[in-house]
Amino acid sequence: MARITLENITKKYKDKAALRSLSLDVADNEFFVLFGPAGAGKTTLLKTIAGIEFPQEGLVRINGEIVNLIEPMYRNISMVFENYALYPHMSVYDNIASPMRSKLYRKEESYIKEQVARVTKMMRIDGLLDRKPSQLSNGQRQRVAIGRCLVRTPNVFLMDEPLAHLDAKLRHFMRGELKEMQSSFSSTTIYVTHDYMEAMSLADRIAVLNEGRIEQLGTSLEMYYTPRNEFVARLFGEPEINIFDGELEEREGRLCLRALGQAELMPLEDDVAHALRSGGRRRVHVGLRGGDVRFSFADKGGWIKGSVYTNEPIGHKVIMVVDVNGTQIYLVAPNDTKAEIDKPVCIDMDIRNAIFFDAESGEYIIRHDAERCCRKPGDATETRR
Amino acid sequence: MEERLESKEGSRMRKTAMSALGTFGRNLGLTLYALFALFPLVWMVICSLKSDAEMYNTVFRFTPTLTNYTAVLLGTDYFKAFFQNLAVAGGAVILTILAGVPAAYALARYDFKKKEDLAFQILSFKFAPEILVILPIFIIFQRIGLYDTYFGLIWVYQLITMPLVIWVVRGYFEEISVEVEQAAQLDGYKWFDVFFNILVPLIKPGLVASGLLAFIFAWNSFTFPLVLSGFKIQTMTITSLRYIASDTVHYGQVAVASLVAVSPEIIACLFIQKHLVRGLSFGAVKG
Repeated sequence: MARITLENITKKYKDKAALRSLSLDVADNEFFVLFGPAGAGKTTLLKTIAGIEFPQEGLVRINGEIVNLIEPMYRNISMVFENYALYPHMSVYDNIASPMRSKLYRKEESYIKEQVARVTKMMRIDGLLDRKPSQLSNGQRQRVAIGRCLVRTPNVFLMDEPLAHLDAKLRHFMRGELKEMQSSFSSTTIYVTHDYMEAMSLADRIAVLNEGRIEQLGTSLEMYYTPRNEFVARLFGEPEINIFDGELEEREGRLCLRALGQAELMPLEDDVAHALRSGGRRRVHVGLRGGDVRFSFADKGGWIKGSVYTNEPIGHKVIMVVDVNGTQIYLVAPNDTKAEIDKPVCIDMDIRNAIFFDAESGEYIIRHDAERCCRKPGDATETRR
Repeated sequence: MEERLESKEGSRMRKTAMSALGTFGRNLGLTLYALFALFPLVWMVICSLKSDAEMYNTVFRFTPTLTNYTAVLLGTDYFKAFFQNLAVAGGAVILTILAGVPAAYALARYDFKKKEDLAFQILSFKFAPEILVILPIFIIFQRIGLYDTYFGLIWVYQLITMPLVIWVVRGYFEEISVEVEQAAQLDGYKWFDVFFNILVPLIKPGLVASGLLAFIFAWNSFTFPLVLSGFKIQTMTITSLRYIASDTVHYGQVAVASLVAVSPEIIACLFIQKHLVRGLSFGAVKG
């Protein structure tokens, strides 16, 4: 297994830049997740490491050795492609056996048989060995592709959305298998996904990519609790984080927040107040997760009045959208909540859990007691910088 | 109630009758078409068995004779022409595949300036009427010593065979996802191995079908060998002219010559029929 280092990688397709001077250091035996919206450059980054795309600038290192000029086959890298890239004319068995039959990585047929049996059992495709890829469903094809990747012991596993086409139950199971495999084989894995739950549950570290740049690099808890800007904040969490405008006012020596057109002021904690005062700000953007908003259908004094906009039961919880003076606030309600549309409702926001962003740039300013949220305090201060 | 049941039964009977008629009609139609399509061949077989004297009677009653066969196959150097034709057409197709498949790959995979113009230029070779270009080629060939040589004919046949193979095979290459090649490289295969182990099996149906068509076109070519070859090389299409003698046209012998001439094509078609029918299985790529 190996350490992967990228230094100032720039990759352009014609005039369009896919990666802009991107640097990254993936430690040995790390499970590293690349996360971001479509077109962010995630796949290009993987292909650059694999050596099938060539960066115009920058260095790729495997275990410190510069591999820019080394052909893909000599890099000993195993990859799952997003479109599976199975060999159409070969059976499932031959597809999975293919990496062990090449001149470079040749193994005994008996060993191949053992290994194919191992991964196909793990992927639950051991009954399909004689089928051709065209006779498989998309989920099965994807599992064959994962099998072909896992059958080797490479420098690094590159996985491009390997679970995207599996049904929810199987995806959950596979997530567990990958996590288990990661801890037992101690392998370096770089994993692309656009599913935040997958990212958070699997990753040792996550890099959020946007337009060819890394927006933030850190653990999943850091992503969730101290996102570096509004873009990252919106990517993590279901329902999406509420971000609304707030005005800062001094009242009796305390800094208070006025938001959502309410007369009532919300006093802020001292550390938050200190950070907001030092910038001399009047306006901020306030980010608040759905779980930090309480609601009541009874009239409560001091709570914010609104009306039910939508009410969406999703099994273990209900996602309710409350309209407050034209701003929609998402909140998480218990799964037995029933509410007609336009029903009056009161909400109470736990402003101590709010994340404050700069009103212009959308950059992270502060959240109250950030260290409490992230297990490693040292990392948390780093992301704040 | 009973009535309704009966009518239901009746309609079902009508339905089966209809479908039976449908099957019958379909088969009848296909049989008629087969007769129509095969008739020239059958007619040629009949002609080849007739003597010159009986040639013009239109009823299908005659005394079969093998004189035409002995005259053509034993009396003339027909087999020499047959093998020369085979050498020229086969050589042309082999050269086309050796040069055309890499060209098709390049046109499918690489991005270079004027790519589409080049591809169209190759196709346009097929647009020009042969008779229009044959005279300059004749003069050039005489100058550079390619007149009446195998290589000269094989070369000029590329005009017929190359565009076809390049355009068909290019389409097949484009259907193969580039990720399949990349996956094979990561599996540890060199480009050459990838090409022969992964790509060639996938383009095989297209390659075989277009190669066969190219072979038929080259085999049947008339204008080029008529003008560009002399006494040393004589293809079958040219040799068949010989039976139009000064005294009479020996239709029986022409029929024999033609029959022998089409036989390799028919045999080849029968052998690789499954490749002609079967398409690529695109299942391994998401879509």
